[in-house]
Amino acid sequence: VRPPGARVEAVGLLTGWGEGVAALPDEARAAARGRGVMPLPRPTLNGERFRRATRECLLGVVAVEAMLRDAGIDREAIRGPGTALVFVTAAAYGASNVEWLAGQAGTLHFPYTAPSVLPGEVAIEFGLRGPYVILIGGPTATVDGLWQVGRLLAGGQCERALVLAVETFAECKALWQRARWALPGPLVESAACALIGPGDIAPAYHATAAEAPLERAVTARAGRTLACAPLVALALARAAGSRTALVSGTWRGRTSAIELAIAGRPVLV
Amino acid sequence: VATPIGLDLDAFWSGLLAGADGLSAIERFATADLRVGRGGEIKKLPPVALGIRSRAAALLVAAAADLRARARLDAAPERVAVIVGTALGGVEELDHALADDRSARRALDGLYDSPAHALAGWLGARGPVLTVSSACASGATALGLGADLLREGAADLVVAGGYDILCRFVMRGFDALRSLARERVRPFDRRRTGLLLGEAAALVLLAREPDARGPRLGRLLGHGCASDASHVAAPDAEGRGLEAAIRAALAAGDVDAADLDFVSAHGTGTVLNDRIETAALRRVLGNRAGVVPVNSIKGALGHTMGAAATLEAIMCLLAGRDGWIPPTVGFEEPDPACDLDYVPGTCRAVRPRRMLSTSLGFGGCNAALVLEAIP
Repeated sequence: VRPPGARVEAVGLLTGWGEGVAALPDEARAAARGRGVMPLPRPTLNGERFRRATRECLLGVVAVEAMLRDAGIDREAIRGPGTALVFVTAAAYGASNVEWLAGQAGTLHFPYTAPSVLPGEVAIEFGLRGPYVILIGGPTATVDGLWQVGRLLAGGQCERALVLAVETFAECKALWQRARWALPGPLVESAACALIGPGDIAPAYHATAAEAPLERAVTARAGRTLACAPLVALALARAAGSRTALVSGTWRGRTSAIELAIAGRPVLV
Repeated sequence: VATPIGLDLDAFWSGLLAGADGLSAIERFATADLRVGRGGEIKKLPPVALGIRSRAAALLVAAAADLRARARLDAAPERVAVIVGTALGGVEELDHALADDRSARRALDGLYDSPAHALAGWLGARGPVLTVSSACASGATALGLGADLLREGAADLVVAGGYDILCRFVMRGFDALRSLARERVRPFDRRRTGLLLGEAAALVLLAREPDARGPRLGRLLGHGCASDASHVAAPDAEGRGLEAAIRAALAAGDVDAADLDFVSAHGTGTVLNDRIETAALRRVLGNRAGVVPVNSIKGALGHTMGAAATLEAIMCLLAGRDGWIPPTVGFEEPDPACDLDYVPGTCRAVRPRRMLSTSLGFGGCNAALVLEAIP
C-alpha cells in the first residue's frame, strides 16, 4: 500500500552566511553591512570529472552532501531510478551565460550554459535516474517543485525525491545592482536540498496564496535567496522541531504555498 | 504556432505534409566566423509580434495570437495558467544587457522565466506561471506539468508549450561542438552528420475533459521524464533514461506499447541520438518495431529546442485528425543501426489513434508524451 502523502526527511543548506540554519544571522540586512551580494566560495571537490564543472554545479553537489549529513544516510540510499530530482533556480545559469557571451570560454563550456547541466552533474554524481524536472523562477517555482514531488510520490513514480535549489549572484553582480529596486538586498548565494519521502499526510498546495509568516522570517534572517528560500524555510522549521510547515514563495507578483509534514531529527545514540 | 515553415497552424501543417524545407541562410545575426550559417530562421514576424523588444517573447505572442484565433480562454484570468519550456529563455536579452542596453528592465529580461511572464501578461492570464528548462525536452515536460496543474485543480485552463529563438549565443555553441550539419539534416539516414537549429514557438490550450469547449485536437494521456545520470551533453549510450521516460508515460496513460500507432521521434540527425533513440524504441515497441511508423520533423524545421516537443505533439494530433503522417525530410538511405519505418519520401495516409512523442536534452533530460487523437 502506497502512503498517500509526503514528508520532508532532511534539508541540507549552505548560504553566504555558512552551513546550516545555525549560521544565519538574526537580521540579514544588518549583518550584510551594505554588501549587495553575500558569496559562497567555490567548493573543493576532487576528481577529474569536476575539472570543467562550474561553481554552481559544485554547489549543487555539496548541497546534496549536506542533506545526506542531515538525514544521517549515505549516498547509496538515494542512488538509482527510485529517486526523483527536481531542480529550481532563478539565476544560477547567469554566470555561465555571461562567461560564454564574453567569448573567453572554451568549447566544452557551452553545455554548462544550460540550466539543466547543474542537475545533470548532480544526477551523475549521485546516480539519480528517476523522474527529472527543472523549473526556472524564484521561490514560487520551488513551491511548485515541492508540489510536483508530492504528485510523483503519490503516483508511485518515485520512492523519494530531492528538491534542489542553487542561486549564485557574484558573477552578475552589476546586473543585479541595476535591478536593486525590484530585489532589495542583500542577495545571498545559496544551495539547498530537501529530501522528500513518502508520508501519511498529503501536501496541501495552493497555487495562489498569501505570504506565510515563515517566508518573512526567511527574508529577514537569510536575505534574498530566491529559489532557495522555501528550502531555507523548511530547514528553519525542521531545526525548530516543527512537524509541519506552511511554506510560501513570492516572485513576480505571485505567491504560492504548500504545507508539508516534517520528520523529526534522527536520534543519535 | 510560429515556425520557419509557417506562422500559423494551417501553414505549419500543410508545410509538414508537403515536405517543406524551412532551413535557410541565417540573416538576423553574423555567422561569417562559424562553420555553419544555416538554420530554421523565421524571416518575418507577424504584425502582432512587432514592437515587442524580446524576440523570445515576440515568438510566444505570435504563437499565442494563433492559438487565440482558434480557441477562447473561457475562464477567469486567475484560473488561467501559463507553462512554457525553453532551453534559452531570454538569453539574447542578457547579451543586450551586457552590451548596449544598461537599463534594469533589460537586465531582468535576461532571466529565463521572463518570456513566460511576458506571455502571461499579453494573454491577461493571472494564474500560475511556470517555466521549464529541461533543455530540448522542455516542451514535453511543460505539457505534462500543465496537465498536472489541471488535475490538481490549480487552474481551469492552461496555455502550455515551448519556444526558443535562433541566436548567436546558441549557434556559436553548437558550432563549436561540431554538432551542426554542413549540408542537409538527415534524421536516421546513413549519411547523417548532425543537426541544424531552428526557432519557433508552439502553444496548446489544455483543459479538463468535462470543461473542454469547442473543437478539440486530442488528449494528453500520460507524460514521463527521467534522468540519464551519465553525461552532461551526450545521451546515455544505451538510452536508459529515454526508455524509462517512455515507460513512465505509457504507465501514466495506462497505455500498452502494443497500442501505439505512431511515434514522433526526437530524431535530431546526429549520429549518436538517432542510433540510441532507435534502440530504445525497438526495446519498447518489441515485435512491432519496424511496423509502427516513426518520423522526425527536424529535417524540415531544424531543431527548435524548447519548442520542438510541443510542435511534435501538435503534429501527432493533426496526423490523427487528418489521417496523414508527415515524412522524415532528409531521410533517404537507411542505416543498419537505424532500422525502423521512418516514413521516407512523402506523407503517408495513416490515421494514428495513440501516439508517442520522445525528447532528449542536455543535462541527461528525457521526456515522453502519450497522446490520443480525437477523430
